[in-house]
Amino acid sequence: MAALTELQRLPGDWDGLAARARSLRRAKAAALYAFLIAVSLPIILPYFWLVTIAFSAKTGVADTMVLWRSTAVFVPTVIAFWLAAILAQNRRQMWLAITAIGLIATAAFALLIGPDLHPRNFIFLVEPDFASVVRSRSGVVRGAVQFPSVWKAFGNSLLIAGAQTVIVLTVASLAAYYLSRFQFPARAAMLRSLLVLHAFPVLTLIVPMFLMLYWMGLLDTLFGVILVLVAFELPFAVFIMKGFFDAVPWDIEMSALTDGASRRQAFLRVVLPQVRNGLLAIAVFTFIRGWEEYIFVFTFLIRNTNWTMSLYMYYVRDDVMGVDYGVVSAVGVFYLVPSLVLYLAAQRYLMQMSIGGVKG
Amino acid sequence: MARVEFRHVAKRFGDVEAVRDMNLTIEDGEFVALLGPSGCGKSTSLFMLAGIYLPNGGKLLFDGRVVNEVEARDRNVGIVFQSYALYPHMTVRDNILFPLRFKRVPREAALRRASAAASLVQVKDLLDRRPGELSGGQQQRVALARALVKEPQLLLLDEPLSNLDATLRLTMRTEIKALQKKLGITTILVTHDQIEATTMADRIICMRAGGIEQIGAPDDLYREPQSLFIAAFIGSPPINLIRGEAGDGTLRAGPVTFPFEGGAGAVTLGLRPEHLNFADAGLNGRIAQIEPMGREILYVIETDIGYARVLEHGSAAAYAAGEPVNVHFSPVDSLVFDTATERLIAGARAHPPMISR
Repeated sequence: MAALTELQRLPGDWDGLAARARSLRRAKAAALYAFLIAVSLPIILPYFWLVTIAFSAKTGVADTMVLWRSTAVFVPTVIAFWLAAILAQNRRQMWLAITAIGLIATAAFALLIGPDLHPRNFIFLVEPDFASVVRSRSGVVRGAVQFPSVWKAFGNSLLIAGAQTVIVLTVASLAAYYLSRFQFPARAAMLRSLLVLHAFPVLTLIVPMFLMLYWMGLLDTLFGVILVLVAFELPFAVFIMKGFFDAVPWDIEMSALTDGASRRQAFLRVVLPQVRNGLLAIAVFTFIRGWEEYIFVFTFLIRNTNWTMSLYMYYVRDDVMGVDYGVVSAVGVFYLVPSLVLYLAAQRYLMQMSIGGVKG
Repeated sequence: MARVEFRHVAKRFGDVEAVRDMNLTIEDGEFVALLGPSGCGKSTSLFMLAGIYLPNGGKLLFDGRVVNEVEARDRNVGIVFQSYALYPHMTVRDNILFPLRFKRVPREAALRRASAAASLVQVKDLLDRRPGELSGGQQQRVALARALVKEPQLLLLDEPLSNLDATLRLTMRTEIKALQKKLGITTILVTHDQIEATTMADRIICMRAGGIEQIGAPDDLYREPQSLFIAAFIGSPPINLIRGEAGDGTLRAGPVTFPFEGGAGAVTLGLRPEHLNFADAGLNGRIAQIEPMGREILYVIETDIGYARVLEHGSAAAYAAGEPVNVHFSPVDSLVFDTATERLIAGARAHPPMISR
């Protein structure tokens, strides 16, 4: 063995080095968590407030104390969770700490905000003419808008989002399969134009779209809006689905064909099950896109029986905002719940979106 | 069971000629291997038989009937893919049942046949699992069962062993061969692995660049390769190629001169590693590398005319790396190729056993 050179020789103080590395790692983690909390609080807080207001605001009373009290519980809770995550030595300790913090936070919440909670703001669920009721509480009755039942708007939104999802899924999966598997003239150009279509700000087309629907007699019909939404959602859905189909090996399709399946049977029984995650992801995104649609329904739907949830919310805000922001928040919560439920249910599949990948 | 015929079959992909003017007859019950390097058209030929590719020219015949236009699903061909191509979302049982679904086999009979096919390849315990939970070898067996369950007239195997580990490959080789003999089914194996081809097939069709280079029994291809390409492709460790010069009734190559009547000009001598010997005189060189292979030892020797490989029996090396040695060979064992045309001029044992120095 040759003698060690200056560079090869290692410093002797191993424990000191290890300790320094350890504390550096801790400090970095702490800084990271602090940063993440600082930027995520302004994002989470509005949702938290929305729910708090919806359940606590009273007609004609501008009371922000409840909000401050709830924030005083909420923010320390988040920070405590973060500290627990950093300082816990093992999994057991962490769960214990989290449970304890959760319990304390719940108790504090019940104590400080509990007495102010009430469901009265959700009156719109049962009373179509809630605007008059709300106004009568503060004494101003005249000029209240005639609202349709919220369930009508809910049904319209469901119909638009659902029909849009079904159409997009069917067309996108067939089109993407063809783009992925078959060679035809201008295939590459078509793929490129798909992306260009998606890059278009849809709002720019609102006037021509309006004229088109008018001449087709589809203005102020749900069907017209569904067609427009489908047209704008399709390019991206096709593109995503093509990525998923590209990832399905040719071999299993060939195998199905030699096993006696027709091309259609092979597609339905062998290929389609492989892209299930892609279909689910597209379905969720398309549904939520239709659920939250505002601009097109606002432009193309006129009669109040055609209102969707977004229009309903808009007119509620227009009508009673000055008197009762509690009702507006309650409508917001009601509007939010279905998409939240859908996201939570499909979360597992949405996380796998990247498996299909997007290839050109 | 079927007798398969290729008559002037051609397949083009755009400007690329994948298969050109292929003529071949495979007898009923025969086990043949399509052997060649990647891109030689062997898989394309297989997919044409399966009905996945449509030939651009010529005729494909099963038992004398032209099948060019017959759909893949009506050909009754079983195929095992390199990737096994099992349907990931189905259990093993459903995978094996899949081909029977389209034949309108009653449920009872279908289940019976599936379990018979499964026991044939010993996967009966795995019927409720999904392909993702199986090892490579098990997936391979399931793929075989799925190909066999419909009692096909033709079994196509596309590199079926290349994804298995070495030990398993050996077992599966024996098993597939035994299964083929037992069922008597016409089988075509596509492979780039010459050992697979020589150990399993009755007959090997060696392909190169879309055409058939040579057809023969495994032994023929090893001992009498008709071209330099096959000489170099068949045999492991590979053959030694030594440049020589023929003319005036003799042939000179390295240390050896012997009478030769096969013509004049540049020739290439092909010598299997087992036909090179260490001697006191001859081609001299230096041992560059020693590769023990168990029963044999391969010496790689650096000589003036390139590397030479010598295969010696025994497990202990008699020489050390770097040692100077002399290598000699007998013309009796040498294959003589025309360097320009790469065709065989004279096979082994075609020369009179005369060595002059």
